[in-house]
Amino acid sequence: MTNVVIGSLGEWVRSNAFKLTLALFMIPALAVLVIFQLVPTVWTIWISFTDMALLGRKFHEYSFVGLKNYEKAFNDFGFWASMRVTIYYCLASLVLRFLLGLAAALYITSRKFKGKRIMAAIFLLPYIIPGAIHPYVWLSMLETDYGTVNRVLRALGLPPQSWMYERLTESIIAINSWAGYALAMLVLTSALTSIPKEYYEVADIYGASRWFKFRKITLPLIKYPLILTLILIFKEDIDDFTYAYMFTGEIPYPDYRTELLALYAYHKAFSDFELGFGCAIGFIIAVIVFVITLVQLKIGGV
Amino acid sequence: MERGFLKRIAEPSFTAIGYVVLLCLFAYVLSPLVWLFVTALSPKGSPYLEIPERLTLDNFVNVITGRVVGGTKTAMHPVYTSRWIANSLFIGFATMVITVALSAPAGYALSRLRFRGKDLLMTAILLIGFMPMTAKMLPIYRLARQLGLIDNLLGVSLVIASGTIPTQIWIIKGFFDHIPKELEEQAWICGCSYLSTLFRVVLPAAGPGLAVIAFLSFLSGWGNFTVPLIMIYSEPLYPISLGLASIFVHNPGEIGLAIDYGSACALSVIYAIPPILVYYAFREHLMKIRLGKLEVR
Repeated sequence: MTNVVIGSLGEWVRSNAFKLTLALFMIPALAVLVIFQLVPTVWTIWISFTDMALLGRKFHEYSFVGLKNYEKAFNDFGFWASMRVTIYYCLASLVLRFLLGLAAALYITSRKFKGKRIMAAIFLLPYIIPGAIHPYVWLSMLETDYGTVNRVLRALGLPPQSWMYERLTESIIAINSWAGYALAMLVLTSALTSIPKEYYEVADIYGASRWFKFRKITLPLIKYPLILTLILIFKEDIDDFTYAYMFTGEIPYPDYRTELLALYAYHKAFSDFELGFGCAIGFIIAVIVFVITLVQLKIGGV
Repeated sequence: MERGFLKRIAEPSFTAIGYVVLLCLFAYVLSPLVWLFVTALSPKGSPYLEIPERLTLDNFVNVITGRVVGGTKTAMHPVYTSRWIANSLFIGFATMVITVALSAPAGYALSRLRFRGKDLLMTAILLIGFMPMTAKMLPIYRLARQLGLIDNLLGVSLVIASGTIPTQIWIIKGFFDHIPKELEEQAWICGCSYLSTLFRVVLPAAGPGLAVIAFLSFLSGWGNFTVPLIMIYSEPLYPISLGLASIFVHNPGEIGLAIDYGSACALSVIYAIPPILVYYAFREHLMKIRLGKLEVR
């Protein structure tokens, strides 16, 4: 009896050897994904309900505290201050990155302007150099006395600003939109060039106006990439705190002017050692990303 | 009459406005980069744009050999530029090896196998990659501390690789999907074993795809900031990104550098060169993949 079972099992294994090998191929990648991505994501939720600390006794002997971390967050001055900064930063970056990317994409896809290939290569540069460089390259722009921005402002007769201190939030927004507009440019360029020219020719035969062509041909065909771009831009902005960190360091400014939510979570965990509280902020960020993504998908009707 | 006049005026003025906007965009995009390259090549760096009297490569030599002198601000700590470059190279190559070794077989299996729930699995893989990094970074720190991966370059590479694997699996699966199954079947008929079919037929045919995921994963290790930030605490083990952050002084009201501007810009240029090379070499492929750069930062 057992022999028969083992024999038929062996038969099955032999006849499905290829498939079984392939299934084995998937296991290492899936294991790494589960250990270093899925487990931390779920663990965040668990830690956010405890009073785990980064150092000392409470690193191992933490206890369940229920919703106390969230209650603390919602009654915290720092949380709402950084929430305000985050909303300002994300909205301004979203608009600027999208509009700059759209302008660049229109140049690259238009037939009129010269030197498009070189232009596309140059427009791509800020996006592909690593993020830790961006604050450096902007030093020359933001310097108070001889920085390029203030020189331009003086030449136009406007008062120069202290970009490195009082207007730090705006500086970070400028850097971020400079670094990231190329994402919208890439997606929109490929979406615009993928629309067949025949559609416009047919519309021209029927005497369609420019607005009609835009509304009935261009917009429906680039709608999906458009929504995707907006989602990706938002996710990148709320998730990436490289610039904010480089302009802030380990201690937040007293008025939280650079404190994005992500940076706030980092500071709470690594400067105040409140790992549970930091995880609560992290989970709130994840929820915000999830909700905004769903809303954008819903509005886009995708 | 009126309309015709408007039309005659409108087209050229649109073009003119277009050129003006283009010029502004151009200045916005290029002026910071021009300062970076000019300062890296000039003997005396300064935080604002000025024409150098002569060009020199001394800054690059200083950075690569690690003979960087402290600047005017707070340069109390020693600067390990040459080690930072070596660490970044190590993290980049380790991430590349881990990612390719894990995602190429998985992508091949997902391309060839048919089973119930495959679409669900692919979506789940993508969603895991889409989860915000800031939501997972604290548990990753804790996990790394329990596994002894803090201050460990290989551990950093492993975590970065796990973050980039979802995208790379999707990309390489697309390349494998384009290789006809008949190619493999013919090889089997001719007496090739599964493994030698894989190494002699399938992998060479997927060569460009493997190159793309290799370079993308190298860049994702080379340019990463957040993972080293939470996992590396000893200064000689910093990659370039953390090194750059550590010499960027940000006392309230005063922002500047802890080393001289020429060296910092030379280090930045060295840091920027590999991504630029890869993107211009693979532009056609990347345009086709379109979303290849989702999380490379």
